Amino acid sequence: MAAVDQAAALAGLYPGQKATDATARCPELVTAESEPEADALALKALTDWCVRFSPAVALDAPDGLFLDVTGVAHLWGGEAHLIADLRVRLARNGLHFRAAIADTPGAAWALVHFGKGPAAIAPPGEQAALLGPLSPAALRLEPEAAAQIERLGLRRIDQLADLPRAPLARRFGAATLDRLDQALGRSKEALTFRRAPNPWFARLAFAEPISAPDDMARVGLDVAAKLCARLELEGQGAQKFHLSFHRVDGKPQTLSVGLALAGRDPARIAKLFAPKLETVDPGFGIEVVTLAAEGVEPVAGRQVRLDSLLEPGREESLAPLIDRLTNRLGEGRVWKAAPVESHVPERSVTHAAPFAVPTARGWDPERPRPLRLFRKPEPLELVMALTPDDPPRQFQWRKRLHRVRLAEGPERICNEWWHGDIDHVSTGLVRDYYRVEDQEGARFWVFREGLYDPGHAARWWLHGVFG
Amino acid sequence: MTRYAELQVTTNFSFLRGASHPWEMVATAEALGLEAVGIVDRNSLAGVVRAWTQVQKMGPGTHVRALTGARLDFADGTPSLLCYPSDREAYGRLTRLLTVGQRRSQKGECELHWEDFLGHAQGQLTLVVPPTRLDDDFERRLSDIAGALRGQVWLAGARGYGARDLHRLSKLSGLAGASGAPLVATNDVLYHGPERRTLQDVLTCIGENCTIAQAGLRLQANAERHLKTPTEMARLFARFPGAVERSAEIAERISFDLSQLRYEYPDEPVPKGKTPIQHLRDLAWAGAAWRFENGMGEKERRTIAHELDLIEKLDFPNYFLTVNDIVAWARSQKILCQGRGSAANSMVCFCLGITAVDPTKEDQDLLFSRFISEKRGEPPDIDVDFEHERREEVMQYVYRRYGRHRAAIVATVIHYRPRMAIRQVGKALGLTDDVTAALSGTVWGSWGDRVPDEHIRQAGLDPHSTEIRRATTLATQLLGFPRHLSQHVGGYVLTQRRLDETVPIGNAAMPDRTFIEWDKDDIDALGLMKVDVLALGMLSALRKGFEMIPPDESGRKIVDIADVPQEVPQVYDMLCRADSVGVFQVESRAQMSMLPRLKPRKFYDLVIEVAIVRPGPIQGDMVHPYLRRRDGIDKVSFPAPAPEHGPPDELKAVLGKTLGVPLFQEQAMRLAIEAAKFSEDDADGLRRAMATFRHLGTIGDYGRQFIEGMTARGYEAEFAQRCFHQIEGFGSYGFPESHAISFALLVYASAWVKWRWPDAFCASLINSQPMGFYQPAQLVRDAREHGVEVRAIDALTSDWDCTLEPVAGERLRAVRLGLRQVKGLKEEEAQRLIGLRTQGVHTIEGFARGLSRRTMELLAEADAFCGLATNRRQALWAVKGLAGEAFVETAAPLMARQSLKEQQIELPLMSATREVAEDYRTTRLSLKAHPCSFFRGELAALGAVPASGLKHLRNGRSISVGGLVLVRQRPGTSKGVVFMTLEDETGIANIVVWKDVFEANRRLVMGGSFIVVHGQLQIEGEVIHLVAKRFTDLTHLAAGMKSDAPVEDPRHQPTGKLVSSRDFH
Repeated sequence: MAAVDQAAALAGLYPGQKATDATARCPELVTAESEPEADALALKALTDWCVRFSPAVALDAPDGLFLDVTGVAHLWGGEAHLIADLRVRLARNGLHFRAAIADTPGAAWALVHFGKGPAAIAPPGEQAALLGPLSPAALRLEPEAAAQIERLGLRRIDQLADLPRAPLARRFGAATLDRLDQALGRSKEALTFRRAPNPWFARLAFAEPISAPDDMARVGLDVAAKLCARLELEGQGAQKFHLSFHRVDGKPQTLSVGLALAGRDPARIAKLFAPKLETVDPGFGIEVVTLAAEGVEPVAGRQVRLDSLLEPGREESLAPLIDRLTNRLGEGRVWKAAPVESHVPERSVTHAAPFAVPTARGWDPERPRPLRLFRKPEPLELVMALTPDDPPRQFQWRKRLHRVRLAEGPERICNEWWHGDIDHVSTGLVRDYYRVEDQEGARFWVFREGLYDPGHAARWWLHGVFG
Repeated sequence: MTRYAELQVTTNFSFLRGASHPWEMVATAEALGLEAVGIVDRNSLAGVVRAWTQVQKMGPGTHVRALTGARLDFADGTPSLLCYPSDREAYGRLTRLLTVGQRRSQKGECELHWEDFLGHAQGQLTLVVPPTRLDDDFERRLSDIAGALRGQVWLAGARGYGARDLHRLSKLSGLAGASGAPLVATNDVLYHGPERRTLQDVLTCIGENCTIAQAGLRLQANAERHLKTPTEMARLFARFPGAVERSAEIAERISFDLSQLRYEYPDEPVPKGKTPIQHLRDLAWAGAAWRFENGMGEKERRTIAHELDLIEKLDFPNYFLTVNDIVAWARSQKILCQGRGSAANSMVCFCLGITAVDPTKEDQDLLFSRFISEKRGEPPDIDVDFEHERREEVMQYVYRRYGRHRAAIVATVIHYRPRMAIRQVGKALGLTDDVTAALSGTVWGSWGDRVPDEHIRQAGLDPHSTEIRRATTLATQLLGFPRHLSQHVGGYVLTQRRLDETVPIGNAAMPDRTFIEWDKDDIDALGLMKVDVLALGMLSALRKGFEMIPPDESGRKIVDIADVPQEVPQVYDMLCRADSVGVFQVESRAQMSMLPRLKPRKFYDLVIEVAIVRPGPIQGDMVHPYLRRRDGIDKVSFPAPAPEHGPPDELKAVLGKTLGVPLFQEQAMRLAIEAAKFSEDDADGLRRAMATFRHLGTIGDYGRQFIEGMTARGYEAEFAQRCFHQIEGFGSYGFPESHAISFALLVYASAWVKWRWPDAFCASLINSQPMGFYQPAQLVRDAREHGVEVRAIDALTSDWDCTLEPVAGERLRAVRLGLRQVKGLKEEEAQRLIGLRTQGVHTIEGFARGLSRRTMELLAEADAFCGLATNRRQALWAVKGLAGEAFVETAAPLMARQSLKEQQIELPLMSATREVAEDYRTTRLSLKAHPCSFFRGELAALGAVPASGLKHLRNGRSISVGGLVLVRQRPGTSKGVVFMTLEDETGIANIVVWKDVFEANRRLVMGGSFIVVHGQLQIEGEVIHLVAKRFTDLTHLAAGMKSDAPVEDPRHQPTGKLVSSRDFH
């Protein structure tokens, strides 16, 4: 177990315990998979967010942050208020924490992990007194060394600090002394501060508010040029752009466009926005326009690939067409059919993005599927077929009789039994599919429902047409 | 009518592929009217014996044949071949081929190339299995194969109801014509009936490690790959005339049958110029002279002669000589060994020294026919136990003596057990980990044919939910499926000719180990010779104990179990008091509570003691009737049939020795024959059905036959019912009388050592760990209670093992604990320490120069430098400073040059509780004090009395006892009752927790390591139990010992346990 909540701790469970032991002790225990990677990402996000409190924030994995609040606290009216503000804001997001402010990161760490109370502030130069009674483990020692120091009966940092330094170093290494010194401010500790990412964002402000459609189109292009220049510089492109017109009355109006392939051509982006500009109500005028890019990823300069699947130059041809269609018809309305690995025909096809790379497997020629698969099979009448599983000789579909000239099959496909009750699993729930060609050369995909059952008329369906 | 033989059947021995047992395939094929069914598992013959056995079992009149073959999958792109050897020689070539492939691969794999096959192709009838895509490469390879194997090769074609089946078959038919490998119809069978499709899908998911939703096209599209009737096959292949009939023609050309594996025993041990039986006779009579120093009686003489005649008649002398050879070698190496099981019925085995049981001895009267019977015609089966630490030497001897090509270990088929089945099925069905964990957690011990709803509900799940029911239903189907092959613990099969011409031999996971593809049942069915080389910890302990025991007044030293003085009354006195910690078999809690009730006074009582505390007698409710008769409360009487059905004393011969109550397995089996009038065949069938749970269904039939048979003859229905419960209880843990006698010998021998030399007993048991029921802490405590002084681990005197040190004026010596008790210490390091000592080193500085830093720290923390007048903390401080020398030079160069002379440092003294906690942490025991002694005040405040005081209290009183939890047991026979053993500073208390109390206090009962139990005292003679009603958890107190002073902050509270208990469930 990686972590336990308060209720679990009260039940005597603890991190490091085997999950099976814990469940045996406490069968009602609810567990969730530990996700250290997700935790690390969340901590990073929190680090970035904390930039509002200090420009220098460092990660203390797995569950801590260091904020360098030197010269910052007065903005909140003192250190205590800073902690209080941080606490209120994080509590709103369900995050509770312990905090300590001290001269050194080491002392703050010790007070947070081993001190009393939810928050501690060590007055400048006084951390030694506060750290004295804490366990040496509070010094961020190697677990092995911490355990042995404790076993020697050295249960307080001041006991450790009083020992002669050379024998201590000989036994527990220079690293132990370093930690002691770092906590007490005798030596410096360099933290690696995280730098917040620069947002992909451009802004243009106008001295005179604008409202003419032509002007709006022009500033759209200008702001796109500004952002795209930056993208170009860093070899990036974006898949989505949000254009916001900020009106004099403070109400922003936002338009969004998406690209099938990440790009940074300002003219093309502006062109995609153009048909939507008429929906923008400028009100008393627009004073600021901003453009934000989303889904930023590296793209090659020319975006031409020699890959045979992706024709060269399609950015100039197909991609803009798809972008225009998508922006007109709506997201998700332009797609291509992609195979899904399932025996059941309805489940074997899915919508994929127009430029999605085909999966390795592709369509299996040994399992011919119709070009057009009906969403719902259509019933057939007047079917004539020899039992038990010969192809039909004739059938009537949409009031028209077809005589079968050529046929192949059956291809027997069972239902996916795992969707239903195990007691209702039956080997009779099958479809026998046939590929048939009528006298006019039209090809159909028909199936008989269920196995041949003497005395019961078979039900036939048409599920798709070829070519 | 069309004739058809299904030549492409994959059973569940192609793991995670086939979804039916071989026997299901055979039975179904017979029902469908097939000529033959060909078992072809992937590069394996693991399932063929079971198919063949099924045919034998179905008896005369069976039409279907089980053909022996394998599907050969090649590593070099050659299409797979279904290979059927046509005669014995070809079969030998196939097994050699598979051996070659398996020996060059890792365990469980087999790498074959076309050239390998060509070298073994003579006499093989082969079917080429076409790949999914029929490309040019296949055409080329097919014509190569057909060219090389002209006249013995066919092309297999199947109709799996794919979209383009007929197209494909037409193409295959064309290829067949062009290449000269005629097309033959198969159905590429994966299961015997279409309803197994669901399970096959699940197996695919387990194999592919995906969920059923992700599996997609890896699953089969339909349920067609089952056995089909000849008529149906003829319809499916109507367009390909001859393809179906050809299958039966191929089957006809196969003359090989597994019954042709004639068995020849090795003849190594027979000297030149002598016949095996002559040699055996000589050895047996010489042995008899040794066993019966004072001359033997007519009865013994007759028995030996009779056995030897029968052995000669059945042609088994080589078998006895081979086993004797192994045992004699072990003796020559001073490895203690003893035969167990049914061999103890044999006088010849006794004379050869294979067993230690004289079957003619009064009371025992064992029958040779239980070991070897002319009627059963089975080869004998001798299991020999060796010292567990030295068995490897014996195994290596077997390899040396008979060669790796003639000796190999038998396989054990690892079957799907409930936990594993539910876990893997649940995963395949996409249940989340916690649901499958909860489901598998509901399985305690055995599981019948379904999971009881209440268990599922207990786990907090809804038994009626579709997902749960799907998982449990399929998991139940999966039970008993083979999962993989593993090597048997010590069953060897030995042959005269090359073993790899009888069965494929593959690599085991252990280096230098090989094992065959067949398990014990297969070997039995085919009548091959097997010797079990087993390991028994008590034999190691006894040998070590014997070595420590000084010679007696006449200078005789005990070297063998037979040298132990017999029938010493004080030994029985000790056992009657249940003073049996460490004694073989009777040290378990159930045995301990039986001892005072049974009151053993002679050897045969021990035999009964060993046999009675078993699932068989317990489930048959035979224990109490026996005890009441023994105590004279009930009269000894024999169950009798109605007068018109037989004499009233017909069971006297069977049950005479056990006061009319059936206790041993063979008594129960005799009841089937004598009272229920089973035929010998039926009785044998019942015995086999009990031995393996794969015939789950047939047991019920036997049960009816048994009970009806007895009641029809006028026996009481209730008695018949109980007898059958007993038979069921024996299950696969059959416990025949001969086995009980062999074990009772060890019970007596170990009890004698414990009584006479408790010092040697304690040391030898600790030196043989891990073994037995108790941990060193309890063994030490028991020894101290018996007046043995136990001395602490001391780097200046301790060896690796515990040793005995003389105590002035005392008969018993003191046990010096060995360095082996220090957790984490390596034996080589300990030996180096001992080496330094012999060179005169006896300071911490001196040791530090020769030992690793880690070793020094381990010794210091284990207080092993106590002999140097330094306490644990000072020693650790000193050791770290010394051993740190090299370390500092690299890590802190500035300090390296400083003098090692440093000022004395005062470290805080360790509290007494902490000392004990540290002892437990580093050596799992403490000689200083018992942890409970520190908390007597807390215990008293909770009303807890010392465990030793229980026996002076009145039965039925409400009392409390507190202590460390040593053992928790929840036996399958106990219907949810949990047994706990607590230990405090005064002794041991036995706790019974009834099911409802357990459910209410589950957390504490399962997890507490230091608890107080409040309950009601139950005293029955010398058996004392406390029936729990409530609990108080003091685990935090014991955990708190791990720090010097109380820790206020709960975040930094020590967690975990001071002592971990041993849990059995």
